[in-house]
Amino acid sequence: MFDRRLIAHFDFTLFFTVLLICGLGVLNLNSLCSSEGNIPTLFYKQLSWMLLGLFFLLIIININYITFIRYGYYFHALALFLVLLVLFIGKTKLGSQRWLVLGPLSLQPSELIKITFMLALSKFFAENISDKPYNLLDFFVPFLLLIITFVPIYVQPDLGTAGIICLIFASYLFFLNINKKMFYPFLGLATAILPCVWFVLKDYQKQRILVFLEPDLDPLHAGYQLIQSKIAVGSGGFLGKGFKLGTQSQLRFLPEQHTDFVFSVWSEEWGLVGCCLVILLYFVFFYRGMRISYNCKNFYGAYFAAGISFFFFLQFLINICMTVGLFPVVGVTLPFFSYGGSSIVSCMVGLGILLSISMRTLK
Amino acid sequence: MVKMKSRNELSRNISFIAMGFMVLFSIATLRAYFLQVLKSGELTELIQSQYRTSVELMPHRGTVYDRNGAELAASIEVESLYAHPGLIRDTRAAAKLLAPILDLPLHAVYRDLTSSKPFVWVQRKVTPTQAEQIRALKIEGLGFLKESQRFYPQKEIAAQVLGFVGVDSQGLEGIERQYDSIIKGKSRKLFADRDAKGRHVFVEGLQPSDQSRQGNDLLLSLDKNIQYIAEKELQAAVTLSQAKSGTAIVMDPWTGEVLASAVCPLFNPNQRSETDPDAWRNRAITDIYEPGSTFKTFSIASAIEEGTVKPTDMFFCENGAYHIASHVIHDHGSYGWLDVANIIKHSSNIGASKISRQLGKEQLYQYIRRFGFTAETGISLPAEQSGFMPSLKNCSEHTQGAISFGQSITVTPLQMVTAYSSIANGGMLMQPQIVKRIVDSTGAVVKQNTPVMKRRVISEKTAGIMRDMLKQVVAPGGTGTKAAVEGYVVAGKTGTSQKIDQGGYSHSKVMASFAGFVPADAPRLAIIVLVDEPQRMKFGGEIAAPAFSRMANAILNYLHVPPDAAPAQDPGLLKEIRTEPVKLAKLDEA
Repeated sequence: MFDRRLIAHFDFTLFFTVLLICGLGVLNLNSLCSSEGNIPTLFYKQLSWMLLGLFFLLIIININYITFIRYGYYFHALALFLVLLVLFIGKTKLGSQRWLVLGPLSLQPSELIKITFMLALSKFFAENISDKPYNLLDFFVPFLLLIITFVPIYVQPDLGTAGIICLIFASYLFFLNINKKMFYPFLGLATAILPCVWFVLKDYQKQRILVFLEPDLDPLHAGYQLIQSKIAVGSGGFLGKGFKLGTQSQLRFLPEQHTDFVFSVWSEEWGLVGCCLVILLYFVFFYRGMRISYNCKNFYGAYFAAGISFFFFLQFLINICMTVGLFPVVGVTLPFFSYGGSSIVSCMVGLGILLSISMRTLK
Repeated sequence: MVKMKSRNELSRNISFIAMGFMVLFSIATLRAYFLQVLKSGELTELIQSQYRTSVELMPHRGTVYDRNGAELAASIEVESLYAHPGLIRDTRAAAKLLAPILDLPLHAVYRDLTSSKPFVWVQRKVTPTQAEQIRALKIEGLGFLKESQRFYPQKEIAAQVLGFVGVDSQGLEGIERQYDSIIKGKSRKLFADRDAKGRHVFVEGLQPSDQSRQGNDLLLSLDKNIQYIAEKELQAAVTLSQAKSGTAIVMDPWTGEVLASAVCPLFNPNQRSETDPDAWRNRAITDIYEPGSTFKTFSIASAIEEGTVKPTDMFFCENGAYHIASHVIHDHGSYGWLDVANIIKHSSNIGASKISRQLGKEQLYQYIRRFGFTAETGISLPAEQSGFMPSLKNCSEHTQGAISFGQSITVTPLQMVTAYSSIANGGMLMQPQIVKRIVDSTGAVVKQNTPVMKRRVISEKTAGIMRDMLKQVVAPGGTGTKAAVEGYVVAGKTGTSQKIDQGGYSHSKVMASFAGFVPADAPRLAIIVLVDEPQRMKFGGEIAAPAFSRMANAILNYLHVPPDAAPAQDPGLLKEIRTEPVKLAKLDEA
């Protein structure tokens, strides 16, 4: 029943790298929770979410990933249903309706839908493969999938996740064998849409982009987060201020410090050395993910592995860039590092499938 | 096998993407390096500014004493009301309670109490009654800190010399400004950290100040009583003559120590805000004037010292009008032949011009500089002026004549009294001094100033000749007879200089002065009295000379100087003193 080869091909490097990232994330939260005025239970909550995620992960690696991808449409449909449900009975937090309250737990289905969207996309492309490059017609169904996923998330509004969904879709264009001529219509479409995006953005979203370009425009409101974050990172210096000694975070100048801006707390207390350590860990993480995709002989696995690695990378890049002032402020978490139950569990699920692919590379 | 091509394509794309990742990783790392290493300092400063506020607390400012230890400027402890706005529960109610007690507008108090800073002064230096009333309110988030408040117990006395301080105890004028760094002591900083919402405040450094931070004390050369006499007599002369202002300086001619430096109008530094800023200036050093005839002493002393003129030489005084090129020099009276002593006694401008012509202008200029004119004396007071005379190459024959009787040259009263002191002490130009000693809070002497001779200007013999001539001025028939003091021989010179007004010399605006020393043969005091723009009694001999006389009389009595009628002092001792002024200073103190 139990196959020894499964263990043999289990990507321990990837697994332990991610565990280390989780560990540093929890340590960082512990620093935050010790400061006066912060919720001391955050740390324990995050630990329990992590354990729950790991529990899911252990179940998932024992299941052949092909099963998940085969039923990708159903998973995606379920996630979509939850997202729609949020629109009607969701809980509003910070002006966005993103939360589904189930008894003591509050769930953010938009975190989950990122994974199921990749499952669905991978399923479609793997099952419609031929020796010829994909043509424009082949993209009809995936595009439809993108639209029906994008709209409800955008309406929430969750700009970050909606953007990520688009970027996931775009990333598939990069590693699929597509007809090179197709780049042009997509490129044209993107160029045409991008300026229009400005007009559908809400005021606060426009402001975020404006203050990204000029943070001093509104230093006390829209630009506040960005400026405080930059200050936090910068004042860390080479070696940092030390564990629990970051004044920006401990005196709570930094908003959203346990979720989206968790990395600036880390940089303030651990400095450039800590920053580089975390960036290095993520690099190892993505490298292993891409390797799994590269080695996988099965298109289901190869597509999904490439997709999810790309997804984690995007989340990481956008979050870090936003923290250091290279990108406008959008609600994107740092995978495995930020506080957030739904985020950590869905990331663990994604990681589980990735590990499952690595274990079954030779099949 | 059929899908092999697609598979290879996928692998190739993945490799490309991995490379793209590397580039983006490097960018993120470089950005972190940029912020954390290159811009770290700048951002760290920014961070401190937003959570840390510091308040500077001034220590006990040192006391300024007169030469006998009387307090001229002292510091008293008063309380200042501060608030931690974040800790006040009901700001509106607190403001309503405080405003009437502090006698401040409600909105001003409310604005302070709602400040986003963790620490604000609500009112500096409140009265003890106010403090008591506010304490009784027991409002959380308010507190008192002891601050030192400057107080001038002698009120008007020496106000222009002492100067005053600002609200943060910073010296703004006079001694307070010049010696600010020495007497202010080490301030201490009180730090207050706050969180983003200003709610949690951590204040350090609220403990009372320790003694080591106290400022040093100053002991001035001024004598409170002499200063009082000088101010009283000067004020009387200014009032009597309806003058604009007046200046008087009393100096110890042997040491250069300023015993009194009076300026009229007087002002009370304790109520500075109610006074005219024009009165704050120490005119003894900041105001320059054309000295007029008092300056003849120096042009004639130079000629005698150089030997170009003998005291017995006779000069024809042109019967009152002397033509040089296109200009005419006038005398007050019409004189024929006069010897040098009579030129001084009658204050002949024509005689003085002729004497200086024999000396030559290069020599005249050199001596004027050696007597200390046209250069700051270096007394340690702020804003000292140097005075001015035309450059040597622009000095025409007529200008040279004018300079010889004190026109076309400007001096300060302090330069003048210092120069007269050099005649009094036998030819030594002394460094004027106002601070005798700096003492720290434990009483140890930090610095002791001893008399400094800058240079010998004229010989003792010339000084003696000048002294005898200056005695004649006060003797019957001279211009300065009203300067005489009963029982003492006075040596001095009157001066009445027309002030420059609308491009020429004014006939109505004059500076009436008298400069001299007493007792003439064993001088204890060199005094100058200046009365600016008297409306009545416009001559130096009429208004300044009597003021000199009354001042000298009172001060000599105060100092118990034996009258000249009594047997003269031991000439041997006197001789010794004259060559060794330092020794005299010690004797004087003992």
